[in-house]
Amino acid sequence: MSKIHSLREAIAENVGDGDTVFIGGFGQCIPFAAAHEIVRQRRRRLVLCRSGADIVFDLLVAAGCVEKIIAGYVGNPGLGLAHAFRRAVEAGTVAVEDWTNFAMVLRFHAAVLGVPFLPADILSAGDIPAAVNVRKVVCPYTGRDLSAIPMLAPDVAIIHAQRADAAGNVQLFGLPGDTLEGALASRRIIATVEEIVAPAAIRAAPDRTVLPAFRIAAVSKVRFGAYPSYVDRHYGRDDEAYADWDSLSRDAAALERWIAAEVIGRADYADYIAAIDKKRLDALVAEAAAVRQ
Amino acid sequence: MSEQTDTVRLVALAAREIRDHEVCFVGIGVPSLAAMAAKRTHAPNAVLIYESGAIDADPPKPPLSTGSPAVVANTAMIGSCLSVFALLQQGRIDRGLLSAAQVDREGNLNSTALHRSGRPDLRLVGSGGAHDIALLAREVLIIMPQDKRRFVERVDYVTSPGTRAPRLSGRQGPTALITSHARFSFDRGELTLDAVADGVSSAEARACLTWRPPEVAPLRTLAPIDRELAAVAETLIHAWGRDIG
Repeated sequence: MSKIHSLREAIAENVGDGDTVFIGGFGQCIPFAAAHEIVRQRRRRLVLCRSGADIVFDLLVAAGCVEKIIAGYVGNPGLGLAHAFRRAVEAGTVAVEDWTNFAMVLRFHAAVLGVPFLPADILSAGDIPAAVNVRKVVCPYTGRDLSAIPMLAPDVAIIHAQRADAAGNVQLFGLPGDTLEGALASRRIIATVEEIVAPAAIRAAPDRTVLPAFRIAAVSKVRFGAYPSYVDRHYGRDDEAYADWDSLSRDAAALERWIAAEVIGRADYADYIAAIDKKRLDALVAEAAAVRQ
Repeated sequence: MSEQTDTVRLVALAAREIRDHEVCFVGIGVPSLAAMAAKRTHAPNAVLIYESGAIDADPPKPPLSTGSPAVVANTAMIGSCLSVFALLQQGRIDRGLLSAAQVDREGNLNSTALHRSGRPDLRLVGSGGAHDIALLAREVLIIMPQDKRRFVERVDYVTSPGTRAPRLSGRQGPTALITSHARFSFDRGELTLDAVADGVSSAEARACLTWRPPEVAPLRTLAPIDRELAAVAETLIHAWGRDIG
């Protein structure tokens, strides 16, 4: 049975208003195409979660899709603050639960293991433990005090990877970050991929399969689906696009106009990508090829 | 004062804290520049770990994100966030390198929110892995620009706990803080002026603080930064191409 859907169908059928959504990608494979589709479909009251979140969270906040964020970090890596997020938190329109990156990974991992919490030696001091109301647990064997990090099972995970077959077996190359913990913790998983390959290609390299088909709800082929983040072996990271976001997102009105024109005003992500200077994309593709020779 | 800029001295002095063969958990920005400078000079066998999962990385250029292509390009191993935080909790990380918006006299770090009178707090990025590194690395090196706004008697929010927090045995918390002008220690649990950079007076070194810290007597002067390390630091800062801190 084929799991291949258009991204429009995949989001329409699997992401509902008010859902808790894990967004994958750590540096690489951040699913920007799927985020644009969520904005186009005007989802509301989403709860976004992951460990370290980049500007894809800022975009969803700016577009009015988000009610709450549960994360360890929300920013524009290396450049500073996520400006739309900062404005929304300061205005009280978006709530935030401040964990740490390790704590978030453990929250997902507990859900992956099917246990209600995992004990850990963090959140024992400072202001974060009280802010998130983390409870203590005593080791029944040693008497050691630990923090009980509660499981978090999102309704839906959205991830990007290099390839999948039609059945939905997903293969990821390069950094997974916390993507697999977050995906496997979630009830439903949507994957966008750079290419759909034959089942034989998957079965010739099963050690690369990170998510089995039976856990996948939908697969959509979206070339450049993680741009402006990067995809190992496909294209490099467009650092300048992140710098552009830093400038653009400082001005709420300008950002709103940009979203109306470049996200809501586009038919799909291919339409958005088609408007980007081809030389710029070619350079990113060449950069990725040079890394993996 | 020598001709080296403050940023070169900041990166170089921090790099000198890193010993060869140490396993370092490295954050983005100055921590990464310092670790890369150390690895390219006196500590070629330092093992650099980034929280994205890159283990024994040797980035060809300063990465903008902990998961950037440069982190992965030349690394020995790609693990996951879980696998590198596991190394951290297990006590396998010798040194964590951290910076933050604010630091206080007990080495508490704030990267979450800044209080503003009559207005909502200025929201920052949050912990990332900093809280985890602060509690779980065997030693923590804090790297801060010489900037009076960043040194406060008590941070507005304790994101990453300092010297007073209870820790597992063998985890010392912050042991040193480097600025472009000085090296501070936390030998008595409190920020203590330990040594000044070559050509810097103790008053200049203390100028970033609003309080008078204890000083080690007699105050040491750090050895001048050698030309090779300064050149490497300068190259990295140029390649970074963005504000430091």
